[in-house]
Parts: sequence; structure tokens; C-alpha cells
Amino acid sequence: MAQNSGIRRRSVLTGMAAVGAASLSGVAPAFAAAPKIKIGLVMPQTGPLAFFTEHIPFVLEQVKATYGGKITSGGKVHDYEIVIRDSQSNPNRAAEVTQDLILNEGVNIVATFATPETVNPVSDQCEVNGVPCVSNDAPLEPYFFGRHGDPKKGFEWTYHFFFSGEELVKALLPYWKKLGTNGVVGGLWPNDGDGIAQSKGFPPAIEGAGFKVVDPGRFDMPASTYNSQIGAFKSAGCEIVSGVLPPPEFTTFWNGCAQQGYRPKSVYVGKALEFPATIGPLGDRANGLTTEVWWSPTSPFSSSMTEQSSMQLAEAYEQASGRQWSQPLGFRHSLFEVVFDVLKRAEDVTNPDSVKKALRATDLDTIVGHVNFMTGPLPNCSLTPLVIGQWSKGKKYPYDIVVVDNTNFPSIPVGGAPFAIPYS
Amino acid sequence: MGELPNQIVQGVLVGGLYAMYAMGLSLSVGVMRFVNIAHGDLIVLISFLILTLIHATGMGALPATLIALPIAFAGGYLLQRFLLQRVLGKGVLPIILVTFGLSIIIQNGLLGVFGADTRRVSGGGIETATLKIGGGINVGVLPLVIFLGAIAMVMALDWLLYRTRLGARIRAVSDDPATANLVGLPSARVYATAMGIVGVTIAISAGFMSIWTNFDPTAGPSRLLIAFEAVVLGGLGSLWGTLVGGIIIGVAQALGAQIDVGWQLLAGHIAFLVIFLARPEGLFPKY
Repeated sequence: MAQNSGIRRRSVLTGMAAVGAASLSGVAPAFAAAPKIKIGLVMPQTGPLAFFTEHIPFVLEQVKATYGGKITSGGKVHDYEIVIRDSQSNPNRAAEVTQDLILNEGVNIVATFATPETVNPVSDQCEVNGVPCVSNDAPLEPYFFGRHGDPKKGFEWTYHFFFSGEELVKALLPYWKKLGTNGVVGGLWPNDGDGIAQSKGFPPAIEGAGFKVVDPGRFDMPASTYNSQIGAFKSAGCEIVSGVLPPPEFTTFWNGCAQQGYRPKSVYVGKALEFPATIGPLGDRANGLTTEVWWSPTSPFSSSMTEQSSMQLAEAYEQASGRQWSQPLGFRHSLFEVVFDVLKRAEDVTNPDSVKKALRATDLDTIVGHVNFMTGPLPNCSLTPLVIGQWSKGKKYPYDIVVVDNTNFPSIPVGGAPFAIPYS
Repeated sequence: MGELPNQIVQGVLVGGLYAMYAMGLSLSVGVMRFVNIAHGDLIVLISFLILTLIHATGMGALPATLIALPIAFAGGYLLQRFLLQRVLGKGVLPIILVTFGLSIIIQNGLLGVFGADTRRVSGGGIETATLKIGGGINVGVLPLVIFLGAIAMVMALDWLLYRTRLGARIRAVSDDPATANLVGLPSARVYATAMGIVGVTIAISAGFMSIWTNFDPTAGPSRLLIAFEAVVLGGLGSLWGTLVGGIIIGVAQALGAQIDVGWQLLAGHIAFLVIFLARPEGLFPKY
């Protein structure tokens, strides 16, 4: 009891001090009355997904440099605070910390990213508690259907932008056709969310386009060897490998291929081949590996927050961090573009309904392309452009991504023609 | 199924890797009679040590591993002398808890220092080298070297434990610490020396593992299970048994994967369970 009253007295005192400071510095009373806006950010700072958060310190610096801790919304200037919580790469933990953000911190909007394992539980909590949530960096299908979304109804509070699995196959097919292979595709699909989704979605689409699929079955990871898959691909004469594996698994697979004398012409493996940090250790064995490209310095889009072009953003990051650019940078940046755009447009930023309305009506050109949640292909989702790239010897870095096929999005320039893995 | 002989050959070679990974565990379970939950994390820790040596000096993987050997010996010695010895002989649970805690500390310590990036040590081309042995079968040079390395390791440890004075002391302390103390053996120091030897086997496996596959701070526990199965399958205390156990699991996995690759891990576990039910003491038990 005594302690309680103590705290109350202290908060009254600080309140008085704040009012005093405001009137002393001669700021309009409306300013002091505008409540602080809290932005919740849930991300896997630790654990196996931690590499997804590499760009966050840089992007937060950018946000700070642009807004300086203040945001104008509905004619009022609000202080804002970004409250960060660590999901520890664990879906249960992600849900827990989101609840904490909503119930204890009273955040006005939640932002999150990095795989369905993070995005889905966070979005579900926001949906249940009626807090606006915006997310990216998880393919649309696992985001929407993984949360048991009904395409007729959609969600009320949660919105998402990224590429979709369907779009990925559509991007890969013209690229494979240009390569000139025997058209036999080996499927390297593990027994996890992404692997199961691709093993169901890819074969009909690939075979519909005149290719043949060899699928040895789902497997558990970590696998100490990929001899069985390699044996199956080799004896079936697969010239293309398509799969989705975490980086360490891919290294095991790729070294196994060399040991078994298996030399496919094209290897596309989702997740594993997107990051320089995982490509670097492969050395010259990285040459010619295929990756999907969701954002690159050659993208023709620019930032609504800093006015930077994609190239300028990548260069600024490389200068500030001393590390090679990688695709998530664009999406981290765009997440805050959308968050601040929504907060600025909200009629009453302290009212969740008003923020939700602004979020739903988002129509913004970001560094990763146009974001508009009304355009689909699924409700609450915005599809961002996707092209195909290959790792090639670079000028600044040993290996860099070169866009080699842009059939579906001709506005993104190609940097070279598709080529078979050279095996020098 | 022309694939079958090829898969069996590959399975045997993979068994060598499992055995090498399990060797240190086999020693600590068989000789010191405790389960080291942090075994996998210690391997990852030494892998990071090797990586750091390589980055700092630009030397190759082999000299870096050789430098890591005495460091790992000293590390094992001190770990046993000042930490594990305190809880040894106080029941099964305390030592499991201590090594479990050690596992968490190592993982998060590495995460703090090195970040979550996956790393790999370049073996200078050996990891992608291959030998054609006819019949459409290719044998990777690295798996072959690891397999031969595992055999050499078993022979060396066998010699050390059963042909030397040190080995006799270690076995005496292992059999009955009280009596060993009675006849004047410094059991704490002998245990510590044994753990130092475990440290050396860990450093050797770390050297090979860091070339064989990528590793990150959390990679340790993932392969501990199979290593443990190899130890139990072979029979506690038998190093040759661990090698055979590793090979059985490797071949069972390769054969299971021929039905469907989904069966790969399951087949290894089923082989383990079947043999475990038939011979709970393992194939070549020492005790």
C-alpha cells in the first residue's frame, strides 16, 4: 500500500515536471497532450533465424535519422517509441512476446518479419486482440493458409506483403526453359512447412509446363548425408535440382554432389542461396547457383522514407556495416516505410480502428515495389515482384547476385543471361 | 536397384563419421561413466577455435587442428578437474544437469561472440574431391579419410587404454575409485587426464566436422542423438563397438532411404531399437 502510493506520487511529480518543461520551452499545449505512439517489433534476434535480423540496427538508424523520434499525424506531433521483442526463433515465444507488447506495453501497431514461424503467431495474436499488424518476409501461401485464412473472408487486423509460392514457380519455369536442359527436375523438398508446401505445389505446375519431376520423398533435417537423394537424381538423369533447405543442409548436399560426381546444370534451393553469409563459405562452388530475387540494388524502386534508390540503399548499408548487401535489407526498410506511412495517414493514431483503416487503405510505392493490400492474390496480402538470379563472380565481392530472368516483371533489369553451372 | 551397392558403400562411410563423432562420448560414458550432454557443443566450440585460428593466422585446416589438440587436452583436463569432478559420484542427475548447463552456456556464449552466421572451414578442395571406384560408384575422399581416421582413432585409443600404464590407471579408477585411491592412485588427476584425452578426440572430430559441413553455435545437439545411439548400440566401453554401431546406423539409414528418403532417419532409429531390444547390453559390451 505504502509502495503503491509512493509510485503514484512519483508519477504525478514527473507529470508535473513534464508540463513545467513544456510550458517553459514555450511549446503549444497541444504538443504536450499528444500521447506517445508505440510501435511493437517482434523478430528472431536469437536462435537459428537470427541472421534475418542482421539489417535491423542499420534500418532503425535510418528511421531515427529521418523522423528523429517524432511523427506528425492528424495535425498533432507525437513522440514515438519502437519496442523490440525477441521471438528467439520460436513460434510460441513469438506469440508470448506479442501478447506482452499488446497487453503490457499497449502498442498502437505491431510489425514483424522473417518466416511463417515468426509472422504467423504474431499476426494471430494481433488478430485476436484487435491490434493492427503489418508483416513481410514469409511467402503469401504459408502466411494466409498457415493461419487457416478463408479466401472469402480474409483477416481484419493483419496485413502482409511478400512474394508467393505460385509466383515463384512462374518465375522459375521460363528461366529453366531458357537454360536448355533435358527437363528432368529433381525435387529436394524436406519435411517442414516450406518443403511440404513446395512438394505439393511445384510438381503439378512444373509437369504442366512439360518438365518431369523426380521426387525421392520428404526427409527430416538435419540430415548427415544426402547420398540417397543424390543417388536418385543421378540415376534419373536430373539436370535441374529444385528445393528448399536451410544453409547448413545445402552445404552438406552440395559437397555430397561433388563427392558423388553428380553435376546438375542448374540448382535452385530456396532459403539456402539468398544470403552472402552462406554463399561465401562455398567458395567457387557457388558459381552459377540459382536464387529467387525479391529485392536487389538494381531494382527500379526507391524508398518513400529516405528517397534513396535501391542502389543507394545497398551502398549506404555496405558502408555503414562493412557487409555485403542482401535481399532482406529492402524488406526491412520497406516494413518501416509502411508502418510510418500508416501512422501518418491514420485519422486518430491512438484509435486502433482508425490505424487499421489506414493500414487497409495502404497504397504506397516502397523500395520493394508497390504495396496495396487490396490487390491480392489473397485477401490482406500484397504481392511484390520476383525475378530469378544467379550467383556470379562480382567486382566488389567474390560472388554477387546477377538477375538473369525477368519474364514476369520486365521493369526489373537483367544483368546477364541464364547460364549452366560451369564446374571449372 | 543398381543403386543398392552404392548406397551401402556410402552408408558405411557415413557410419565412420558417426563413430568419430561418438568416440569422445564413448570414452566418457564407458570409462568415466557419465553422459556428457555438452559433447556436441564442445565439438562446435573447438570448431570455432579452429576457425578463429585459421582466420587469425591464415594457416590451413590441418595445422590449425594440430594446434587445437593440446588446447583441447588442457581444456578437457581443467574442465574435469575443476567442474565435473565436483559432482562426479554424487548420482546420475547432477552431472547431467551440469553438462546440460554447460551446453547452454557454450551455445549462447558462441552466439554472443560469433553471431548466428553459419560457418565452414575450407579443407582446400578435399571436401569436393572424389574417387571413381567402378560400377558407377563414386567415393568422396573426405568421407574415406574420416572413415580411416575413425579406425585409426579406435586403434590408438584401444592401445592407450589396454597397453599402457596410463590406460591401466584410468581403467583402475574407472572400475573402483575407492580401491584405486586406497592403493595410492590420484583418482581426480587420472580422471582429468582421461577427460583431456576425450578433449583430443573432440578436437579431431571438430577438425573433420568443420570441413564436412557448415556449423553454427546451435549445431551441437542435433547430431548428439545419433552419436549416443552408436555408443549404446556398440556396447558401453567398447570403442570398436562404437565404430560398428555407427556403421550399422549409417547403413540402415542408407537402406531405409531406398524405400523413401522419409525413412532415412527412422530406419536408423528402428535398427537401433531392434538391436537394443534383442541385446540391451549392446553388441560388444565391456561391462
